[in-house]
Amino acid sequence: MKRRKSIAFIAYVLIGTVLTSPSIHADDQQQAVADISNEEFSELHKSLVPKKALWKTVPWETSLLKAQNMAARDKKPIFIWSMDGHPLGCT
Amino acid sequence: MLKEQFIPVAIDQWYTRAQKDPEGEFYQAIAGQGPRKDMKQTTQGWYVCDAAGKLYGYRNNRRDNTIKQIMAQALTEFDSDSKFEALSSDVFDPAYQRSLPAGAVVIRVNTKVLSGYKETEDAFQKIFQRSIARDNLWILADEIEQLKEGVVTASLATRIARFHLIDNTRGEPTMWSKTDIKSMDMKLDGDGRFTGDVEIKSSKTGFRTKLLGTVTFDGDQLQQFDIVARGWYHGEGHYTRNAPDGEFSVAVAFRMTDGSDIADPVAPQGSKGWLEGYLKP
Repeated sequence: MKRRKSIAFIAYVLIGTVLTSPSIHADDQQQAVADISNEEFSELHKSLVPKKALWKTVPWETSLLKAQNMAARDKKPIFIWSMDGHPLGCT
Repeated sequence: MLKEQFIPVAIDQWYTRAQKDPEGEFYQAIAGQGPRKDMKQTTQGWYVCDAAGKLYGYRNNRRDNTIKQIMAQALTEFDSDSKFEALSSDVFDPAYQRSLPAGAVVIRVNTKVLSGYKETEDAFQKIFQRSIARDNLWILADEIEQLKEGVVTASLATRIARFHLIDNTRGEPTMWSKTDIKSMDMKLDGDGRFTGDVEIKSSKTGFRTKLLGTVTFDGDQLQQFDIVARGWYHGEGHYTRNAPDGEFSVAVAFRMTDGSDIADPVAPQGSKGWLEGYLKP
């Protein structure tokens, strides 16, 4: 009787562990990568768009040479936004 | 003030500080008047100058609002009666030229960390935590031809995996190497349904993700390239510090561009320094 109870308790603990950790692989503790449902796809695709920002309303040139040519022609000073990685293209 | 009274230009100075052509020499002369004179180091920041290369001021501090004062001061000093000569636009340093190959299309790529950050009171960390990164993916003409036949070429799949399934939300990422890709499966069925399953792992970082989307054609023209990747990421790069601890959820969205956005002509970050390696990954 006592042995049966022990076996039942061990089974309970093991089943409980599995059921309460559905997203963990036993071997490496990584979270399972879930499939993307059609609804999740639509929601993510729609939401992953940068918000409208004031800096995007500025008519940035992407060629310094062209900007220099325009500045010489229009007689205006130049504002250079100079970064590691292109300011408009990455991050 | 910036839109009306200046010519605004945005550049990746990694190129211009090294270019051996009129554009590079113009930039190097301007940067050389500022505090960052060593062209072997970063010269990033905001520069206010004129077409003759005279520097009016420089700043590189996001928390410093004095750039507006520098701009205002430049306008008072700027002599619009001066004669400025346009630099020659015929000579380019070929080592730093990156233009869209004939027949290729530009796909916008946006990335976001979905979860895992600890709450912060730091205003700039909050911006990074909420940021949606942007980059461009180039799909080449022969890859488009193959897509039309329902084939995702190894070159396209590898380019997506190595250079675009990456957390670039806090700065310039360290791109994956070919050997970091542990498994990669991208398929397109007859109904235009794109699916994928990719595992990438380097010594300190990794990304395990699924992909889903729709790719359609209008005749020979690629019409739709709407794809989402979502999975578990871990780690950070040298210039993408302050990632969440452990595994965190990251999503990447791909969509066609129409040439109307100011970022459309910008070359992919993954092509930086080695265009051939990006085109033939």
